[in-house]
Amino acid sequence: MASGAIDHMVSLIIFIAAITIFIGLFSQNMQTSIAYERHNVLSTKTSDLLDNMLLNPGIPITWGQSDDAIVGFGLQDPDYSQYKLSSFTLMRLASTQAAVYYPRTATYYSNNSARLGSCLLVPSAESLNYSIISKLLGINGTYGFQLTLTPTITFNFQKTSTCSPLTVQVNVDGTGYPLANAHVSYSLIIISQGANNYPSYTVVKGVSATDGAGLVELVFPQITSESQSYALIIYSKLDGLKGIGYYVNNPPDLTKTVIPLIDSFQNRTILLTHSDSIGQPSQPPGYSELSYNASFVILTEDYTLRQVQLNQQSAVGNLSYGSGSELDYTSITVPNNDGIFIISYKSNSGQFGVVLMPWGLGSLAFPLKFGGNPAGQDWVTTDIRQVTVGSIAYQAQLGLWNLQGYSRTG
Amino acid sequence: MIRTIEVLFVIIIISGALIATSYFAVLPSAREVSPINLRRLSFTTLQTLDSDFDLSRAAFETDNATAWGRLQVALSASLPPNVVYNLTVYDVSDQQGQVYNYVDSISNAASQIATSEVSAYAVASSNVTFNFTPEKIGEKTGGTTLYILNCSDANGWWITGYTAQSLAQDLYNLLSPYFIETVVVQNTAQLRQLIDNQTISGSPSERVQNAVVINTFGESVPMPQEYYQGQIRQNLGYDPSAPSGYNYVKYCWTLGNTVRMYNWTWTSIVGYPFYYVSNNVVFSSSQNNWGIYGMKMTSQGGSRAFLQGLDNQTYTYDTNGLASDVGGVTLTTKTIEFTNYYGIYPSSYQTSTRALSNSILQSYHLSIGFNVFNPVGNNNPGAIYNHKASGSSNITGSLLALGLTRTPDVRVTGLSLLSYYQPRLYASQYTATGTSRLVILQLGLVGSG
Repeated sequence: MASGAIDHMVSLIIFIAAITIFIGLFSQNMQTSIAYERHNVLSTKTSDLLDNMLLNPGIPITWGQSDDAIVGFGLQDPDYSQYKLSSFTLMRLASTQAAVYYPRTATYYSNNSARLGSCLLVPSAESLNYSIISKLLGINGTYGFQLTLTPTITFNFQKTSTCSPLTVQVNVDGTGYPLANAHVSYSLIIISQGANNYPSYTVVKGVSATDGAGLVELVFPQITSESQSYALIIYSKLDGLKGIGYYVNNPPDLTKTVIPLIDSFQNRTILLTHSDSIGQPSQPPGYSELSYNASFVILTEDYTLRQVQLNQQSAVGNLSYGSGSELDYTSITVPNNDGIFIISYKSNSGQFGVVLMPWGLGSLAFPLKFGGNPAGQDWVTTDIRQVTVGSIAYQAQLGLWNLQGYSRTG
Repeated sequence: MIRTIEVLFVIIIISGALIATSYFAVLPSAREVSPINLRRLSFTTLQTLDSDFDLSRAAFETDNATAWGRLQVALSASLPPNVVYNLTVYDVSDQQGQVYNYVDSISNAASQIATSEVSAYAVASSNVTFNFTPEKIGEKTGGTTLYILNCSDANGWWITGYTAQSLAQDLYNLLSPYFIETVVVQNTAQLRQLIDNQTISGSPSERVQNAVVINTFGESVPMPQEYYQGQIRQNLGYDPSAPSGYNYVKYCWTLGNTVRMYNWTWTSIVGYPFYYVSNNVVFSSSQNNWGIYGMKMTSQGGSRAFLQGLDNQTYTYDTNGLASDVGGVTLTTKTIEFTNYYGIYPSSYQTSTRALSNSILQSYHLSIGFNVFNPVGNNNPGAIYNHKASGSSNITGSLLALGLTRTPDVRVTGLSLLSYYQPRLYASQYTATGTSRLVILQLGLVGSG
């Protein structure tokens, strides 16, 4: 009787222990499978969401260039099909960089500027932030994302001789390989440093080709001093891959500049401001005047720059800061084409400078990073597409993560 | 004891189940769990490479080492470094018993790609011409003739940047395939012949009745000399009782009458219809207040008089405005559908500053045959108006009025007429061989497996 009871107890204990161990083993397998399944769903969602962004123009379809409220998010160029994106909708995505404050209009500007000598500052009120887009995409609180647009072709400029002549070695690279034997056309914009109050510029144009390593050397005897202001805009093409790059040279001790701020996409107005008046707090008053000359150029089908007349009184003028009464900003209307807004200027201390602003993100192949920060997220899936903005080749990459949380196992 | 043994048996069975489950339930590799969508990447890469038809050219030039080498560099440059590719070109034909015949391939994958995705992209040779045969408008009812006013002795207005002659040429190129006969009216004397129901080309297929007449002179309309004051038809062109300077309003009434009698479709390509009359000879010393000589203003009375004539009303001088500035306008959904059908793509967004009011529908027994643009309020920025006499269901004259602002886009005119008449397009059967190739791009991730 007693041995039977002991046998019963021992067998029961062994059975319960074994079942517990097996449940643990099975559940580990099951958890791993479920986690894999969730990651797979997230990956599919990433691909769908990326196509959803890139293959529809949004509602209204002209939201990139109008003040109408956006009710559907999409980046496709409404005049085209497939993966061709609108240059203007991309400009309206709020940058991940810190915003810039302009006290005169009491407005914050999303800072999409890419590199020295160029600006892209969009009023925050006209920018769409991460939260709004998440809601429009229907993933608010469910998924986090980061959209990155990177030009497929990049240009690295190396000055091997700074003047007399200026020699620039340009390295043209694709994402995975140098752009060997590619067509290159370039325009060197040289600011005329004469007595003219409103500095004009001359353009030196030419064509060339990269060598087998994607290098091209450009020589400009017109540049005789490192303190000369100039901008080099270079365009390259190889079998449907097109890219544009630029390099701006201003005197190293140049402290006062003209900064263009986009005022309205619908009205296509840009405010030209004095750099001292930007920021919070703005620079302490100290009289400074900049005389500017603004112009607009578009990229033609033969890959050269063609100037479009602005025909406005404010296309040339002065920006005074610290004088108390005079305007330190002015407004200019630009055409509705994609193009490059060029402002050459001269300070009252006799220094010359030049600044470029793309009107349409692809005009100067500005990169874009929009959305949340994937750092620290449990599992981030990415997907990638080849797209064109304007005619420039970009790669659009979407990183997506789940915000509802689940533990990573296995 | 026996129970313990039974439990051990159970443990062995469950262990076996666990081992069997683990053996068969193989989890995928981490890369396969959340992969990059290589198929879409492949497809978009091919699209990018073919954005200027360079891929199409290279696919037919596999013997051209330069073109093929450029394609290889572009492909390598456009893909991320961790992606390897294999691009293969197939000729599409059934000559050798199979549809797809291998032509050539390039690859940067040294070994077999274990996990990969492919996309296919069809390209056509640039030597291929796709033809279509359009149905001729009115071919089942004796044919409709297209008359394009190109009068050398008249001047246009609101066609800034163009001449009527250049617009006439563009319209001829655009529309003549759709008409049995297209006649360019070279001067106002020929226009007078038309008004008199006389053919002018000598072609047996020319028909004055049921014709389409396109006025390429914008807001101005050519006027034969006979309608000038003191000439033999002055009572049909000159109104002595009208305010000085606006006396030739009556010529517009005569045109309206003519349109009704011959069941024409009169086309005004831009602006206010019949705002001026023009003849370089008789109005040689008159200008339109903007420095263009050879014309006289009829102002808003011109359109009114035309509509009176179209509706067979007695002529009265009437200057009540019938058009408004409505700003931005959009093509109707139906018109947009026809842009694809006919391959004519004007901008969907236009500006209309001379949109005719709906009030003319009742006043002149008009109905809208086709709305080119979406109406804005009570105005139609662009529409074809059909006239039907009271109590009749027959169309007796039509007016296509495109009240857009200058300068005109003749593609809108062409699209409007085609959308109204809707001639069918018969695509040529495409049977040429060796003119299509299939490009397959296979992508894989380095180290996948």
